[in-house]
Amino acid sequence: MHKCSSLACAIFLLMTCITGLPLIFSQEIAHWLDDGPTYAAMPQDTPRLSLDSFVSEARKRYPGQIITSVFSDVDEPKVIVAMACLGNGAKIDPRTRHWLKFDARTGELLQQSKPAVQRQKEQPLVGRLMDIMFRLHSDLYARLPGQLFLGLMAFLFVVAIVSGLLLYNPYMKKLDFGTVRAHRSKRLKWLDLHNLLGAVTLAWALVVGATGVCNELAGPLFRVWMATDVQAALVPWHDAAVPVQAQMSSVQGAYDVVRAALPGTVVESMTFPNSQFGSPYHYLLWTKGDSPLTSRLFNAALVDARTGKLSALLNMPWYLRVLQLSRPLHFGDYGGLPLKIIWAVLDLLTIIVLGSGLYLWFVRRRQIKERLEKLVAAHGDRLLSKASS
Amino acid sequence: MMRSPAPGSFRFVWGIPLLLAVLTVFGLLAALLGTGIWHGLSWLAMLVPVLVGLRYSLWPRPRPQGGRRTAGENSDA
Repeated sequence: MHKCSSLACAIFLLMTCITGLPLIFSQEIAHWLDDGPTYAAMPQDTPRLSLDSFVSEARKRYPGQIITSVFSDVDEPKVIVAMACLGNGAKIDPRTRHWLKFDARTGELLQQSKPAVQRQKEQPLVGRLMDIMFRLHSDLYARLPGQLFLGLMAFLFVVAIVSGLLLYNPYMKKLDFGTVRAHRSKRLKWLDLHNLLGAVTLAWALVVGATGVCNELAGPLFRVWMATDVQAALVPWHDAAVPVQAQMSSVQGAYDVVRAALPGTVVESMTFPNSQFGSPYHYLLWTKGDSPLTSRLFNAALVDARTGKLSALLNMPWYLRVLQLSRPLHFGDYGGLPLKIIWAVLDLLTIIVLGSGLYLWFVRRRQIKERLEKLVAAHGDRLLSKASS
Repeated sequence: MMRSPAPGSFRFVWGIPLLLAVLTVFGLLAALLGTGIWHGLSWLAMLVPVLVGLRYSLWPRPRPQGGRRTAGENSDA
């Protein structure tokens, strides 16, 4: 069982361990690539401007375009307004997507992005490599089938760990913990290292493997929820006319009405009415809790984009909440840089466990083959000598 | 932990791996549920399995005395 489950997933797990290594530090790398200006030094409690002022400034600069989302950062004093042109059939043209970054306190425009199509062409090499790592790590460039496949691989990894535990007992019955028989044979040395590092990374690998399964399931399940429960909440609006941007109510007002309805949460971002995602009649606001644990739990609310009234609080089903909590435990991004470094070392140790496991299987197979050949050769000789006598 | 559990006993085989697993889980949860001092405790707890793993793979514990064949050598099928 240990052999079957681990062989089935070993190559893909080696790949995810290697691609995952730089992803641990993606925040640091993004920060390093960010060439935007720094924020003006101001007291911590400087109040932020109304979000409506950023929205109208953005509209003034690009009158022909629509706003697609507004992001009000909780950790940094910045507000990002995303815009795009409408293409065929009044749908957002993804190539024209771009953003404006404002200082949340002064209203100063800090930075502007180029349109998506141009940004992609001019992306620096490191950023491009990180994108490749991310796609290989999360879906093998195959979207839903890739996500489900890697989810299955992560599940087999968990099975391999548990079945490996059952083998650990007979091997280690007479050996002190940490014994590595380095001088007897190469195979014994790697067997001992496999057992030692497997035991050391055990709990971490189980957690990262299990939360890896959760993460691969979270995306598809989230989309199912958006397509079913969220669409069901929109039924009363189906005959309404879709509002255009000029008719839309105050953005700050929408933030405030949701915050009042959900005490203990912060509103981080909102998507504008959109026919492809969320609702064509509503602002879709994303909230998160304000304590370390609840800040990992997102919720959504719909605010009527015409009247500015709260239409619905979209409480996610329990399984989506569990899946959300499993994200940090997979990424290791919740305990500062030291935790990320520990995460990286544990990842490297896991690579050694996987590599030595493959090596042991390979050597074992060769040994069996050689023994069989010897046996056949010996038998053959005996048969020959019998025949000649 | 007591000095030396008898070879082959549950504690002999699983004592240290279980202790490392408990430290890991504590470290994972401490940083998730707490801030400040809990982050420091989390780093310390998770550093233990990492250091134990590096210590024994880089400077292996010498083989126990006597030429007795050990479990790993006869039952590695």
